[in-house]
Amino acid sequence: MWQIQNPNTPTGQLILWMIVLGAFIMIMGLVPLLHALPPRGRRAIIVIITFITGLFFATEFFLPINKEQKNFLTDAIQPAQQAVQVITALALGLGTYGLVRLHLRNVVQRRTQWGYSLVLLISFVVMATFSIANTLSEQGLVEKTPLLEQGFKLLFDYTLVQLDAAMFSLIAFYIFSAAYRAFRIRSVEAGILMFTAIVVMIGVVPLGATISPYLPGVANWILTSLNAPVQRAIEFGVGIGGLAMAIRLWLSLERGVT
Amino acid sequence: METLWLSGLAQYQHAADNWFAAILIAVIATTVLVSIAITRSGASLYIRRIPGLDAIDEAIGRSTEMGRPVTMIPGMTAFGVVAVQALTIFKYITKQIARFATPMRLLTGDATVYAVAQEAIQDAYNEAGRPDLYDPDAIRFLSDRQFAFASGVAGLIQRERVAANFMFGEFFAESLIFAETGNIVGAIQVAGTISFTQVPFFVAACDYTIIGDEFYATSAYLSREPVLLGSLVGQDIAKLLFVLIAITGAVLTSIFGADAPVVKLLGQPGGWDAFFGGGQ
Amino acid sequence: MQTRGPSIWERMLSIDRRILYLLLFANIVLFLLLPIRMRAAVSPPVQKFYDEIEKLQPGDLVMISSNWSASTLAENQPQLEAVIRHLMRKKAKFTLISVEAQSRDISYRLASRLTPEGGYEYGRDWAHFGFVTNLIVSIKGMVNNLPDTIKKDVRGTPVSELPLLKGITSLRQYKMIIDVTPSATVPFWISYAPKETKILYCPTSVMAAEAYTFLDSGQIKGMITGAKGAQEYEQLLGIVGLGTRFVNAISFSHVLIILFIFLGNLALFMNRRQMRQEG
Repeated sequence: MWQIQNPNTPTGQLILWMIVLGAFIMIMGLVPLLHALPPRGRRAIIVIITFITGLFFATEFFLPINKEQKNFLTDAIQPAQQAVQVITALALGLGTYGLVRLHLRNVVQRRTQWGYSLVLLISFVVMATFSIANTLSEQGLVEKTPLLEQGFKLLFDYTLVQLDAAMFSLIAFYIFSAAYRAFRIRSVEAGILMFTAIVVMIGVVPLGATISPYLPGVANWILTSLNAPVQRAIEFGVGIGGLAMAIRLWLSLERGVT
Repeated sequence: METLWLSGLAQYQHAADNWFAAILIAVIATTVLVSIAITRSGASLYIRRIPGLDAIDEAIGRSTEMGRPVTMIPGMTAFGVVAVQALTIFKYITKQIARFATPMRLLTGDATVYAVAQEAIQDAYNEAGRPDLYDPDAIRFLSDRQFAFASGVAGLIQRERVAANFMFGEFFAESLIFAETGNIVGAIQVAGTISFTQVPFFVAACDYTIIGDEFYATSAYLSREPVLLGSLVGQDIAKLLFVLIAITGAVLTSIFGADAPVVKLLGQPGGWDAFFGGGQ
Repeated sequence: MQTRGPSIWERMLSIDRRILYLLLFANIVLFLLLPIRMRAAVSPPVQKFYDEIEKLQPGDLVMISSNWSASTLAENQPQLEAVIRHLMRKKAKFTLISVEAQSRDISYRLASRLTPEGGYEYGRDWAHFGFVTNLIVSIKGMVNNLPDTIKKDVRGTPVSELPLLKGITSLRQYKMIIDVTPSATVPFWISYAPKETKILYCPTSVMAAEAYTFLDSGQIKGMITGAKGAQEYEQLLGIVGLGTRFVNAISFSHVLIILFIFLGNLALFMNRRQMRQEG
């Protein structure tokens, strides 16, 4: 019921276009309406939309299902999630615009350290050009020239991939300096914590088994019998906290960021 | 239409996959709502001290004295309840900052959070009576790629030598890059996260760390709003309920074994069906 | 009056972190190059993982969710290599799926490089579904109608035309799902995949701590923990792969960190004693 039947027929196409146009007009109308309304009216609209959207997902979850694992709302879940993806894509455009605007201003107004902004802008344009061209060439829309192939390889394989790996590697160095600074026995609890950490650190690597055949077993016992229950308890709390927050937001019981 | 009250084919896509779990969700929701209603009617409540949150004002004061910015980082948190909670905390911090005109930066790796953060921070300055201090460029979306975002944040913390760094939300491997860079420049750091695996890194590199459901208690602690305090009471009752279920499950498993229908009823897809023998 | 300079213990306490970084770097390089081989005690989650794959029959279909990119290559590549090699030994067929472009490219290239070793042919024994933008929607879609959800593979062939997927309409027909990932994708598979399909997990070491609750509950049937788990797995398979080459550097980095934690505490203790003596 939520999908257009035969979208490739002329009638299907017409219905599709009417839906797209209707949604466009509705959204275009909603933006000035929200701006024109006083804060109270604006809030009322947000409260209503939030409630209806939440009700949709909650009802779909709680209603009984048929043999095909569906109730009358299930087919509408996928279009609803696709709508969320459309909103995310629009927000990504907004975020990129904000980033470029900021750095353009930095360069134009020669603000402090504007050189970094220039590097960002050049990287942004070059990377975007090659990525888009590469995608188009994969779809056969543009020719895959040696410049495009080599340029993309240089930017993607030899630059982005390596920079990504380098950033992740930094964590190892930071763990070292943070552990050196933080693991100080200032109390009995800190001593127990440090001892446990050392047993696990040595027990989980082959060196542990070389030192003593019992060490890996002890380390595994700490992970499964001490770590897992504590984590489960924390996750229960987090889950309940998230559920309570979701209910408050759904019913607009707290002002939060709205 | 034939209705199956339990499918047993897929996991938790619908309440019918295990009605026990669905009923439990409904009971928790009711408990929270009733607690909110009771608190709204005037019950006074006590909330224990959370040192990390008391340190927020101290950190802001230090930034003001040093004339260096405050950074607020929700990380790569996607838009959802965690992001909303993080932005609520950042809104509170911004209101405090607005009193002293301390510069701030909010750095996010999620574009939707960026859009909402702009509104929230502008609201915070308006509510503090200083709309003139709002700078849209202070809220920045850096990248949605994890380590590009991490390098952007680390670079900004280094270049601007921030004096206070607040990290609230969901974090992944990039957490230590933020926290250790903040430590290098000598910033006071407060982190709050639901990401269990990142807690050790924050504890090692930050001055204060808020763990697990304390993250959700933060807005109640800061604002002391009856709705939020009531919700906390409801959450505590729900936690007691979970403790009871866990103990019951342990006892029943010890007596009847893990495959007994009564044990499966307590939390396994298909458990309702196994217990009631079809349930149609 | 002449003031005393900082003692060795005070200097130790405020050591320049760049010295620590240099020591760690040298340590990693040294132990990557040294040809020492140490046998590991295979941890229970790795053993379970191995046993589950051993139960597969020739022709069984396995879904590999490969979501790692260059940043976590050192942890995830040894895992994926070992897993693909084991699947090929068991003559199990597999399809790969990713959640973003870089992980698609890396996993496709890696599988293309490894599969000739087992005489595997693309389309007949394995395939790559490319990347999906929303994992939850895709898992739900694959449960209901796999060819309609995926439509085309990474080479642009409609998946319904792949010999490998002849008669396959749903994820339910898969025997196993293996998630090789540095991020929190496994809860999505646990929540939305068919419960009769077993889930195995290959996280980075840092993410592994979170998975023990799923292992206890049986929602995950086995786990390879980062590169060191891959080394244990390679030991079970009797091969020398990346995990075996990396594990010495990991082991001795742990030793170096522990050594410096001891030195830091010794410096703290000695410094306090010195201060007490000086009144």
